[in-house]
Amino acid sequence: MTPAEIIKNARAQGSRTLSEHQSKQILAAYGVPVTAERLAADADTAAQAAAEIGFPVALKGNAPDLAHKTEAGLVEIGLADADAVRAAAARLMAKLPPGGTLLVQEMASGKREFLIGMARDAQYGPCVTFGLGGIFAEALNDTVLRLAPVSERDALAMMDDIRAKALLGPYRGMAAVDRIALAQAIIGVGAAALAHPEIAEIDVNPVIIAGDRPVAVDALVVLA
Amino acid sequence: MLDAMIRARSVAIVGASQQKTETGGDKLGTVALNYLLAHNYPGKVYPVNPKETEIRGLACYPSVKDIPDDIDLALIAVPAKASVAVMKDCGVKGVKTAIVLASGFSEAGEPELEADLIAAAKEGGVRFCGPNTNGMISIANDMVCCTSMVCAMPRFNKGDIAFLTQSGAVGGSMLGTGNEEQGGFSHWISVGNEADLQVADYLDYLADDADTKVVALFIEGIRDPGKFTRACAKAAQAGKPVVVYKIGLSEVSAAAAASHTGAMVGSDAVFDAVCRKYGVVRVDDAADLLPTAITFSRLLDKLPKGPRMGLIGPSGGICGVCADECHRFGLDVPELPQSAQETLKQFIPPFGALRNPIDVTQQIRSSPTGYQDTIRTVLEQDTIDGVFLLVTMVGEPRASFYCDIFTEAARATGKPVIIAWTGAQSLAAQAIPQIKRNQMPLYFSARGAVRAMRALLDYRRFLDARGEDNR
Repeated sequence: MTPAEIIKNARAQGSRTLSEHQSKQILAAYGVPVTAERLAADADTAAQAAAEIGFPVALKGNAPDLAHKTEAGLVEIGLADADAVRAAAARLMAKLPPGGTLLVQEMASGKREFLIGMARDAQYGPCVTFGLGGIFAEALNDTVLRLAPVSERDALAMMDDIRAKALLGPYRGMAAVDRIALAQAIIGVGAAALAHPEIAEIDVNPVIIAGDRPVAVDALVVLA
Repeated sequence: MLDAMIRARSVAIVGASQQKTETGGDKLGTVALNYLLAHNYPGKVYPVNPKETEIRGLACYPSVKDIPDDIDLALIAVPAKASVAVMKDCGVKGVKTAIVLASGFSEAGEPELEADLIAAAKEGGVRFCGPNTNGMISIANDMVCCTSMVCAMPRFNKGDIAFLTQSGAVGGSMLGTGNEEQGGFSHWISVGNEADLQVADYLDYLADDADTKVVALFIEGIRDPGKFTRACAKAAQAGKPVVVYKIGLSEVSAAAAASHTGAMVGSDAVFDAVCRKYGVVRVDDAADLLPTAITFSRLLDKLPKGPRMGLIGPSGGICGVCADECHRFGLDVPELPQSAQETLKQFIPPFGALRNPIDVTQQIRSSPTGYQDTIRTVLEQDTIDGVFLLVTMVGEPRASFYCDIFTEAARATGKPVIIAWTGAQSLAAQAIPQIKRNQMPLYFSARGAVRAMRALLDYRRFLDARGEDNR
């Protein structure tokens, strides 16, 4: 489905918050690198999908209007083989909301977590934020903001403007982040917002740096 | 359209009167008339008052409709309710523009009255400033249509800074102090309630205005963001820096936020992003607004090409202070090339410092041209993009000597030179005013000087990036 179709369907079903998978499909269409992932209806399909993606994998509950998966116990990570996937699938399916399904996802591993977000200002339109992500994001509050459209120059400057910019360089044995790829992700979030006025907010958190490669591990698109 | 207001050849003042107010003061219209005449307005002036025939030796007309001349600008200085009727008369007469001074409109809970005023102006084809304004001053055209006390200053310095303010009181104060700092101004407009003409309209006009090279804005909120950003883009296109101080956490909505990002976005950050996108220079200290605009005006053709600064001072202490401020604001203090250090050795006593910062020591005064030669040598280096001249304690006549050589050095170079004079100003009683009159960028702290240089560099980089993106 195209981003426009995904949004249209969600609206038709009365969903305000798109599922993680739908959110990522939209963002991927605008150049945001996302995890390799498949939807699965049951434990066996999930195990098969995991084998195709490659172990270890993460398994998540996937449904519209599901904003806090971790708190709901709908995220299991580091599943190393098919049995682990089947077991986790059984646990998750018991907790899934109606209409929910399973999402099998590559484990993007890396210690550095960033976030990219978008909020629509009533006067100036889509504003794109970039900064330190992960669960401490609010407490550390290390983000910068630009108006969309974000140029590559803007996106690269945003990386230099956060206090934790040293994390982007080579850091404690970790490779320097692929800044161009990260810039494309920042630009993409702004572009998605400009192309779809129905989108009120976007939250891509965390963007994990796997090796030098930024990958959107979780994402949320909220409609107006 | 704004030409008719800012370059008005004829002004009607409605509400001028020989009668005093109940407290014995001049009526608002009379205050405006007195200031207009005191500042030698060269155009034609027509007082309007149905009860009088002559004011200050000028024929007085019962209504604007009775004036036997075309009127470019009507200054409406009657109470709020009466202003609507006067606006209707202006429309009938074909007056092009008006300034409505009275308060008592939307800002006082009377939006209907303001709507009536707007309707009257629209019907008559009159564009207007206000209401609830102190008026406007076109320094470039010797036209003071303003009731602010700042107009009691005997004269305003002409120059290329235009100033738009949403607060007449703050704007008046800043114009006054800026004038004392020998800043030069083109126009000053107290925009009032912006019922018709908005900040963005004036900014759009100023981007084309030959008298204006820098625009200072004191604002609380932006009425029409699209129009505002278009005007900012136009100013950037014209290479005219817009310097802004904004109060309030604003009209910008922090919206109901369902996501984490939404909650973390502050409205102030949004305005910051707006400024960054359009190259608007935002100052976070109101006291910095006019000094920054003045520095831009003085150094607009000498914006630093890069961050590499030369620091020249008479003590290791002040050099260290300034070097720390450079570090704080992201400016570099590179070591001078060996050849330059060799040259400086001829001028600077052995216990000075030659690498950069350059400590010329108090002893340099024993050499008649050592200071000049030092400044010139540093400015000549390809590895230096700008220079700070640091001063500690110095009295007259030495202070005036510094004034002369600093001015001479700054005029002879294409690089920006900013003075940080940290010693007692009373000991430099001739030098300080002369430095200002010489249009030298002058600060009384290293931080002020360095912050200004940083703003110049940011603007230069904005223009460069803009040029590359447009190529």
